[in-house]
Order: sequence, then C-alpha cells, then structure tokens
Amino acid sequence: MDITGEYRIPLPREAVFAALNDPDVLGRCIPGCEALEQVDEDEYSADVVAKIGPVKARFQATITVSNLNPPESYTLSGEGRGGAAGFASGSADVSLETVDEDTVLRYTASIRPGGKIAQVGSRLMGGTARKLGAEFFSRFVEVVTPAPLSDERGPAGQEE
Amino acid sequence: MYAFNYHRPDTLEAAAAALAAAEDGRVMAGGQTLIPTLKQRLASPSDVVDLATVPGLGGVRREGDAIVVGAMVRHAEVAASAEVRAAIPALASLADGIGDPQVRNCGTIGGSIVNADPAADYPAAVVGLGATVRTDRRTIVGDDFFTGLFETALDEGEIVVSVSFPVPRRAAYVKFPNPASRYAVVGVMVADTASGIRVAVTGAGDSVFRVGAMETALAGNFSADAIRNVAVSQDALNEDIHASAEYRAHLVGVMARRAVAAAAG
Repeated sequence: MDITGEYRIPLPREAVFAALNDPDVLGRCIPGCEALEQVDEDEYSADVVAKIGPVKARFQATITVSNLNPPESYTLSGEGRGGAAGFASGSADVSLETVDEDTVLRYTASIRPGGKIAQVGSRLMGGTARKLGAEFFSRFVEVVTPAPLSDERGPAGQEE
Repeated sequence: MYAFNYHRPDTLEAAAAALAAAEDGRVMAGGQTLIPTLKQRLASPSDVVDLATVPGLGGVRREGDAIVVGAMVRHAEVAASAEVRAAIPALASLADGIGDPQVRNCGTIGGSIVNADPAADYPAAVVGLGATVRTDRRTIVGDDFFTGLFETALDEGEIVVSVSFPVPRRAAYVKFPNPASRYAVVGVMVADTASGIRVAVTGAGDSVFRVGAMETALAGNFSADAIRNVAVSQDALNEDIHASAEYRAHLVGVMARRAVAAAAG
C-alpha cells in the first residue's frame, strides 16, 4: 500500500535536496534511529529501534539513496533485519518543486514487512507506514526549517 | 520469551519506582497483549512490573453522575456489573463483546486503553461517552487521551488508575467484529450525553475518532434517518486483508445507524 504526503518548506530546492542527502539530517529524522554511518557514497548503515505498540525490535538497517536527480527528486530506501521479529524494507520516492520562494516536498512511500512481524501485524501495516512516513518527513521539515531569530532552537535545545 | 526481571509491587508508588529504575520497563495489567508479544519475542523489556497486587486499581462504583471503573477491572467484571448494566448498559455490552472468554476474564480496561490498539473497543467508550482518565499524576480528558496509532497522552512511566464515565441519557455501541479475533473491523459508540451528542468510531482509523457531521445531524433529530446521508471519507482509513478503506467508511455509516436505532429504541 502506498502512502503519500506533502510539506512546504521555506528554503530553496537546492538546500532541501542537500539536506535530504546529509547523513546527520537523515540520522535525526529516521524514526528510532540510534546510529547512522556512511558506508559508501549512496549507502548508510543504521541501528534503528522500531516501536509500534507492544512491539519493540532493534533493526540493523541499510539505507540507500538512488534515482538521484538533483535537485528535483530521489528515492530513499531502507532494509533491515530485526532478529526474531523478522525483517522489513521500505522506500520513499521524494520530489521537490519550487513554488514561489519555497519548496514543496512530496513523497510516496511503502513498507514491506516479512517474517513474524508480517504474520502478526498485517492489519497494522498501513497505519504503521503512514505513521513512520509522517514522522520522518515532519521531523525533516522541523530540522531543516530555519528557526525564527527569536527562537533559541539549536542542537543543544533539540530533544532526543 | 526472553528473560526479564519480574516485579510485583504492593503500592502504586513502588510500581512507579520499579518502572523508573528499569532500563526498559513495561507495565503489565491483564497481559493479554503483552504476554503474547513477549512469547513471540517481538519485545524484550528488561523489567515487567505487574500491577496485579497494587491496591486501589479495582472496583466499579457509582460516583454522582458517573460510573468509575478501576484500571485493573476485567472486561467480564464490567459486563456483569449491576451498577454498569443499570447506568450505562452500552458499556456493559461493549465489554461483553471484547475478544473471547479468556481475554474478557484476564484483560483489563486500563491495559486496553493504554495499549491503544486501533481496533480495540474501549477507546470508543472513552471518547464516545466523554470519559475522563485518572492516572497516578493527573486526569486526562477522554478526547485528548488517544493521540495516534498505539499512542496516548500518557508520559513515560505514567500509570492509569481509573476511568470515569459520565452516565449518558442514552447510548449504544455496535461493532462489526472480525469473526476470529472479535476485534472491531469498525465499532461505533453513539451517546446522548449532558455535553451533547457524541459519535466515536474505533477500528476504522489509526486511532478512535469522532464524526462531527453525524453529531450535528443527530442533535437536531436523534434517529438513524438523520445520518443516512452523512458521508464518511475513506481517506486515511485502515486497509487490510479484512476490509478495504472504502468498505470501512461504508461500515461506519451502517454501524452508526444501528447504534442510533439501538440507543433510541
């Protein structure tokens, strides 16, 4: 099942695209990401703790960026193994459009679980995909949006 | 199941302390979701804090214009309670339709609402009857309690103590159950309360939600006909092997009309 979303960010497209490829930004936006390391130009390895209701599983994930078409679009994919919990993969096609001075970010994402989580959680996958997608992109918008001058938000004020 | 430290505190304070001290602690109420999850190794908390022996979390009692249900009260107790059946029969029948006999005799109202499963029945009662949730720290208005898929307004380590349901003038809960699990594919609580008409839907979305258009229509005319033409959008509704989003949207209308007819009857 595909889920979609749209956000408007008060930054030029180039800046948004650069942020989408910044490991530090990705690490802060991926829900449950505890560590993210660049292993190749387009590939990262990540420790992700997925917590959905009663389920809490640690995934060793590989994050890949592909279909790079700067500064217009790219695909962000992830694939992880969660031990006894099973495995999951997901991807998001992201496109950026300049509207006035801002950038409109649109995404289409899907999630494909396997193993035990797919067995017991099939009824929850749509909601889970919606939730993870919204969490990632709303956090992304928060991280990249320049803070108003009066706002003291910075790395130190960022909650974990 | 992986090994964990098991705590059986005998006060609410000790339960909160055990949770706070744990590296990754979980509260256990009736264990009807937690234990199967642990058995499947889909979670491995360091500590499980069992509330079974904590006093003050049981009992169903009438307090003024409300029925107060302790967090550790089993679904079967609510279903059989003379107080509940007399004051809010819709709540008794909702509890009587949850899961199977094992779930009803072990599962608790506190455990159900804290877990906030999108297909659980109790969230429809908490929101639909305009209940208030009391915790070890504060009270939370029912409308604010459920915040998303498996998410609530509770803070880390906060423990639910009781749920207070104002007695409605009339109410009914009707669900379309999954035939195997009895989870609500769609469940609707309709209530005519002192604070107005409330229509709360569970099972259809990420979390329980109210249908304002139906509430407005029913305020003028409390009959199934009044909401016959109220369309429910299928956007963001759940879709799985049991029902498509379109079918769930349709079921919201059907269950709501049956609930109105039952409440008005």
